[in-house]
Amino acid sequence: MAECHPVAFRWPMKAKTENGAKLIHIDPRFTRTSAMCDIYAPARAGSDIAFLGGLINYVLNSERWNSDPFFREYVVNYTNAATIIRKDFRDAEDLNGVFSGLMEYQNKAGWPYDGFVGTYQTDSWQYSSHGEEQGEPRGGEESSSPGRTQAQGKTGKKQSFESVIRSLLKPPPERDETLKNPRCVLQVVKRHFSRYTPEMVEQVTGCPRETFLKVAETVLANSGRDRTTGWVYAVGWTQHTNGPQVIGCCALLQLLLGNMGRPGGGIMALRGHASIQGSTDVPTLYHSIHGYMPAMSALKDHQTLRDYLATEGVPTGVWGGMPKYLVSYLKSMYGSAATPDNDFGYDWHPKISGDHSHMPMFVAMADKRVKGMICVGQNPATSLNSALERQGMRNLEWLVVKDNFLTESATYWHRAPEVERGEIKPEDIPTEVFFFPSAQVAETEGSFTNTQRMLQWHFKAADPPGQCRSDLWFTHQLALRLKSLYAESNLPRDEGFKKLVWEFDPDPIRTAFPLPGTSSIAGEPDAQKVLREINGYRTGLPDQHLAGYDELKDDGSTTCASWIYCGVFPAPGQNLAAVRIASPPEARGALLTWGWTWPANRRVIYNRASADPAGRPWSERKKWIWWDPSQKKWMGHDVPDFPVTKPPDAPAKPGAIGLDALSGKDPFILKADGVGWLFNPAGLLDGPLPTHYEPIESPVRNALYRQQASPVLKYWNHEGNPLAPVQDPRFPYVITTYRLTEHYLAGAMSRWNPWLTELMPELFIELSPELAQEKGIHNTDWVRISTPRAEIRAKALVTRRLRPFRMGGKVVHQVGMPWHWGWEGVVTGDVVNTLSSLVGDPNVSIHEGKAFVCNVEKA
Amino acid sequence: MASGAEPMGFYTDTTVCIGCKACEVACKEWNQLPATEGGAHEMSGDSYDNTRRLDGIHWRHVKFIEQFSEDRSDGRWLMMSDVCKHCVNAPCLEVCPTGAIIRTEFDTVVIQSDTCNGCRACIGACPFGVIGINDVSNVAQKCTLCYDRLQAGMEPACSQACPTDSIRFGPIRELKQMAEARVTQLHQLGEKRAHLYGADEKFLGGLNSFYLLVDQPEVYGLPRSPKMPTRNLIPSSLWSTAGAALLALLGMVGLRKRRMDERAAEADTDV
Amino acid sequence: MSDTFFTASPHWTWYIILYFFIGGIAGTAFLLSSLLHLSNLTARPSDHPTDRPLIHLGYYAAFIGVAFSGFVLTIDLERPLRFWHMLIQNHTGVPMFKPWVPMSVGVWGVLLFGLFAFLAALASLSEERPSWRQLQSAPIRFLRHRGPSAVIAVLGSIFGLFLAGYTGVLLAVTNRPVWADSSLLGLLFLVSAVSTGAATMILLAAWRRAGHPASIRWLSWFDHRVLLLELLVLLIFLVSLGSVARVFLSWWGVLLLVGVVGVGIVAPLVLQRTHRAGSLRHHARAAMLVLLGGFLLRVVVLLSSNQIQVLGSGVVGP
Repeated sequence: MAECHPVAFRWPMKAKTENGAKLIHIDPRFTRTSAMCDIYAPARAGSDIAFLGGLINYVLNSERWNSDPFFREYVVNYTNAATIIRKDFRDAEDLNGVFSGLMEYQNKAGWPYDGFVGTYQTDSWQYSSHGEEQGEPRGGEESSSPGRTQAQGKTGKKQSFESVIRSLLKPPPERDETLKNPRCVLQVVKRHFSRYTPEMVEQVTGCPRETFLKVAETVLANSGRDRTTGWVYAVGWTQHTNGPQVIGCCALLQLLLGNMGRPGGGIMALRGHASIQGSTDVPTLYHSIHGYMPAMSALKDHQTLRDYLATEGVPTGVWGGMPKYLVSYLKSMYGSAATPDNDFGYDWHPKISGDHSHMPMFVAMADKRVKGMICVGQNPATSLNSALERQGMRNLEWLVVKDNFLTESATYWHRAPEVERGEIKPEDIPTEVFFFPSAQVAETEGSFTNTQRMLQWHFKAADPPGQCRSDLWFTHQLALRLKSLYAESNLPRDEGFKKLVWEFDPDPIRTAFPLPGTSSIAGEPDAQKVLREINGYRTGLPDQHLAGYDELKDDGSTTCASWIYCGVFPAPGQNLAAVRIASPPEARGALLTWGWTWPANRRVIYNRASADPAGRPWSERKKWIWWDPSQKKWMGHDVPDFPVTKPPDAPAKPGAIGLDALSGKDPFILKADGVGWLFNPAGLLDGPLPTHYEPIESPVRNALYRQQASPVLKYWNHEGNPLAPVQDPRFPYVITTYRLTEHYLAGAMSRWNPWLTELMPELFIELSPELAQEKGIHNTDWVRISTPRAEIRAKALVTRRLRPFRMGGKVVHQVGMPWHWGWEGVVTGDVVNTLSSLVGDPNVSIHEGKAFVCNVEKA
Repeated sequence: MASGAEPMGFYTDTTVCIGCKACEVACKEWNQLPATEGGAHEMSGDSYDNTRRLDGIHWRHVKFIEQFSEDRSDGRWLMMSDVCKHCVNAPCLEVCPTGAIIRTEFDTVVIQSDTCNGCRACIGACPFGVIGINDVSNVAQKCTLCYDRLQAGMEPACSQACPTDSIRFGPIRELKQMAEARVTQLHQLGEKRAHLYGADEKFLGGLNSFYLLVDQPEVYGLPRSPKMPTRNLIPSSLWSTAGAALLALLGMVGLRKRRMDERAAEADTDV
Repeated sequence: MSDTFFTASPHWTWYIILYFFIGGIAGTAFLLSSLLHLSNLTARPSDHPTDRPLIHLGYYAAFIGVAFSGFVLTIDLERPLRFWHMLIQNHTGVPMFKPWVPMSVGVWGVLLFGLFAFLAALASLSEERPSWRQLQSAPIRFLRHRGPSAVIAVLGSIFGLFLAGYTGVLLAVTNRPVWADSSLLGLLFLVSAVSTGAATMILLAAWRRAGHPASIRWLSWFDHRVLLLELLVLLIFLVSLGSVARVFLSWWGVLLLVGVVGVGIVAPLVLQRTHRAGSLRHHARAAMLVLLGGFLLRVVVLLSSNQIQVLGSGVVGP
């Protein structure tokens, strides 16, 4: 965090120096973050679930967890610990590392770039009641969730949306409040992690047992009524073929410790780009539409709007309102053309037909199946297995690059290494490349959404020079031109685009009398109109903004592009994202007047859990929100993430949908059963419980199971994408990639600035003195780093901050490389991502750039 | 010092420095200093420090000191943002022959670039090796403690940029209180090596940019006991003067001897 | 490790080495010429007329030397056109003088010495070139009278000795390794300046066949004793460095031992002893070795220190 989010790291430092907080750093390398922490625990790249599982095992078997009533009360009431799982469920303990329901993957859809190597039939993972699941929608699923067949196909054309949702209701699952039933979630979890002992942790992760125990003791001691522990992570956890499971494992731990929904607790994802949170909220991701609703898919039962709701709907909890969110979204797309008769234009909405994420698209490109690409602020020429990705780019008919500088993606066709080496000639490349210079942040108006789900508006300080234009301008102008090109089309497939509402031009009066800070660039859209559409308004009355997602309707009377952002712009002129009122230093609690967080400006989500089932704070020290019996509402330091007037003792209404189906003590309102999930019956394709798998390339066998790596990961079997078999002697070292404070990504924004380049001018590889000595490498020597995909050169930085890992009697060396270099800029260097491969997790196709294998030789 | 004004400066708590170098970049940007070799030089191999030293175009320099035992049971990475110490008795100011170096109303030390002629006496006088020649302006330059910003009521660029408040700016009096409290806190937490460097008057009357360190000064590349160069003035001058007198006398004695020998020889021949 | 190692180098290199060398010679040449002149003034008028050309040469050497010194000092500055800032405060026009700063005193000292060297050289030229009408004006002839010439000789000698003696003090009043680690550098450079100055006078005498043989003998006698003193001072200086003397466990030490001590002090001493009443050419040979040694002394002292500087969190240098 200190390396990559130095400004945010201010706060952990304050917690440490002013409030006595303990900081722990778990990482393959000793970094600038480790230097600030009380405990540094080394952990081999790719072994995070072993570490976290070890913590879970420690907690579950500890005296404190088993005797302090707080944990019992929290876990029984606020998690699915007591829920009983179907009796045909088999855990990884039973099946050598896989779960029941593993099947060969059959590509029924015909989309050749799925990459799946296996798949699970998840019926046996479900709660035991009627064998039906109570899961919730998640992107990336290629097949309909089981158990929905009863609802599907039964939807009548005129059936109300509410009744579709209602038809999904199931009776509640069986529970054992004593937590003794061997099929209750807690016992299943306990058994699942029973072999994740401190000794096993040392063997798999290389973290010395004593250090691991110190971490475990500290975390446990700092959880409970009076203290909470918060976890912070970044791509070191996500960029694995079981990335989402790593996060889920931490969530599991935090639920057991009662840290979720509480101040100083929770899990914070440090996102890797300014506003990448925004890009998943109002997404540029292929598999979601706004507000984390799954994209309409040709591979699922999404034929009609009602089919979609039957397939993806979750009847209870906040998601019970899905029809309202979806219809309001469709109204934002098609405006007055979206009517109840045409299902609000549902048929016009594009449907995905497979995995359109980064990796398969480039594999398809390499197979000459993609005509063109628009690359805005992205640099795929330096991305994963970059030689293969560039091969794909060479097959494009056209390529648009929009960026601040002529990045590697703009110049690959004449300056890439393969061209410099003479293997490829520019005249043989058919691609027509267009470059659009970009405006900088201070030259455009818009919002950033940060890791904290906070929207902060930023105003324009200056117009961009010359022909530089903002992404907003570009998108707007592209849309206008496309719309006019399609205006005369009679093809049915173009109807949607013709009907697409696109009214973002500034009002004439604003152009005539511009407000200060307004763009004088011709054609720049009004960013506030975009925000208004995202926020929502009463259909046909754009000046009547909506104040919250509770106001959304499924009858077309509301228009809202992203339900989670509804409320950021509650009235004209009241842009809450632009508010910057700092609370006084002594103020306790959430700082509600700085920016606006979704949903509804709730700063800690699931904050109902900060009070006990009776509505009282767990402790005076950690009070956050609580029930005030006299005022009959939830009060406190934050906006309650709960119906404000629902008392803690309110029972769940039988037969209700939405929030009414949850009781006054169900904090996890986005979950169907209102509780945090220790066990995931639905939502993740690779297992209901996190399980240690080795990365697909590893120098060691999986010490916990016979199953080496995830049985359902994605791998694109292309000749340019070979993998090293397990314990390949040609590539004996673990390599991890990471960032430095001084640079940004592949350097498109940092390696053009001499003040930054002089701080870190050259690409280097960090290795331990032990490995250096073995290979005869001295500090600053040139070395060659090779993987099955490629070979690059870098200078050696020999340091004790990297260490050999002693794992089960074997020494495993690990090296690391920052990946900030490319062939353009003030300083240049080899592209580190050339070394990585195209493999992904099955849920979201996240790659495994954080752990693979390599060889290192003196050059 | 102007009456009514009080000494201002820096207190740097190195224990919360994350080595991000925002201070280096903020300083460069505010003062529009050039990068070494246009920003394209070679990496040093010295941990994460590619700046290496303070000089005419580097007025902030973050040092990195790796201390790890071979078995890795013990390990620290010390980080410190080095800067001009703005000494109360400044050696650079003392030896400057053009009067370019002055004390400001904030009790900081500033080199007036329109006066300096680049004789480099200050560079050799500074006990911390802070000053260097800026090859663009061809005069000696160093941290000005953002004199221009202070005159506008702002704080220096580096302290404003520092995300963890490792660099703090303010009245020396207040900074000392803050620093002493932090040393006490660290001692209570078991970090007995924590100490202040330059907060008392022992070094050059006090350093208006003082530090909280957790190891010996030499570990950080700092002198144990920085001194004024003029400590050598009287002794050296006395030796030289004595020597000059002795040599002049020797010359005169020799000449007299010559004359007496000649007279003697002449007397002989006269006879 | 001495605290002086944690500093930065002012990079006073070849220009300053030349200045220290030439300036010391200039000051000493003036002193020795003045001593001869004053001694002859008190003798019978016809005593050593052959000394006159040598005295003139000494004064010319002093003047050329100080002029060269001024030039080389100026171009060593990073902003040479601002040399006058050391004499006049550029903001106020008030004279700039800091008596506790060797460089400040030095710049005035060089200036004043230059004035006296100029006057002496002017007087000498006036005496040697009676045909040059401009040099025979009344004020210039006045300089050649006993009184004025004596005053010039005495005052100029004092400034000349200052020039020879302050350079080492200037180096000592820094925080640099070797220079600031002892208080004897001023004395060492002074003695070396005087030995090289005397050697220069001998060379001038040999070149122009100027000076009475007794005067030559006197110069050689003087140089011999100054060399012995120089050897002693050098040894004491090295001891006074304490642990810093290990800087010379390097090629600098080799150069010091072989070049400065061996070639520059011991060899001339031996030569001077073995041929005490030797020919002028012989004296000149010894003098050249003394000059070489004196030059190398400054090279070693300045450049060995310049190599040491603080870098990263440590120190670099021999």
